[in-house]
Amino acid sequence: MRRKADDKRPEYRIGDVTRLTGLSADTLRYYEKIGLLPSIARTASGIRIYTDKDISRLRFIQRAQKMNFSLAEIASLLTMREAPQRARNNVRELTSMKLEEIEARLKDIRTLRNELQLLLNLCRTSDAGCPIIESLDRHENR
Amino acid sequence: MTTMVEVFTSPGCRVCGRAKTLLREIAEQVGCDRIHWRAINVLEELDYAVDLGVLSTPAIAIDGELIFTGLPPMHALRAELDRRLAIET
Repeated sequence: MRRKADDKRPEYRIGDVTRLTGLSADTLRYYEKIGLLPSIARTASGIRIYTDKDISRLRFIQRAQKMNFSLAEIASLLTMREAPQRARNNVRELTSMKLEEIEARLKDIRTLRNELQLLLNLCRTSDAGCPIIESLDRHENR
Repeated sequence: MTTMVEVFTSPGCRVCGRAKTLLREIAEQVGCDRIHWRAINVLEELDYAVDLGVLSTPAIAIDGELIFTGLPPMHALRAELDRRLAIET
């Protein structure tokens, strides 16, 4: 990571970004090529220089991918992220739809978390074996 | 109208037996025609227990709402039931 002498904003070379995000250099170049990242500034010798805003955008892409959103969907969501007031209707609808998907996933995750928490609590307080093991065994034998 | 009381138990839970005894005694005091109660092994009805928010045993739900986690003092359970039965009558 580097800073310009006259600028407080940090700058990152591609190696820094791969370390920060876990994405490969090829992936970073690919995202730029297909427009998920804006055209990245270069030094005079052609080295890409990324900014905090680019890192933030990449983290958004990674989160969206964990939700199994397609790259095309992510591209649309990024336009919304860039300028929500100017988003087209279809992009607003997509954002709304994705929000619903996330809410449903959150509900599932919360239920799963509570179920596992309950089983672990039973394990801790039980003096007759571990119910989580018995429960898993029963599920497997169904 | 009767009030439905459910006590959530699990295998190996020593306090759960006391919760069931407590509930049985209160049901006899109040009248079995006014209180229906049942013991639920959480491992047999995991989805229902989790839906109600049960995270440990014993736990007591009244009319489908989780009210006590852990073993409540008898007077607290009795007071809660009396309050609900008074509203119903």
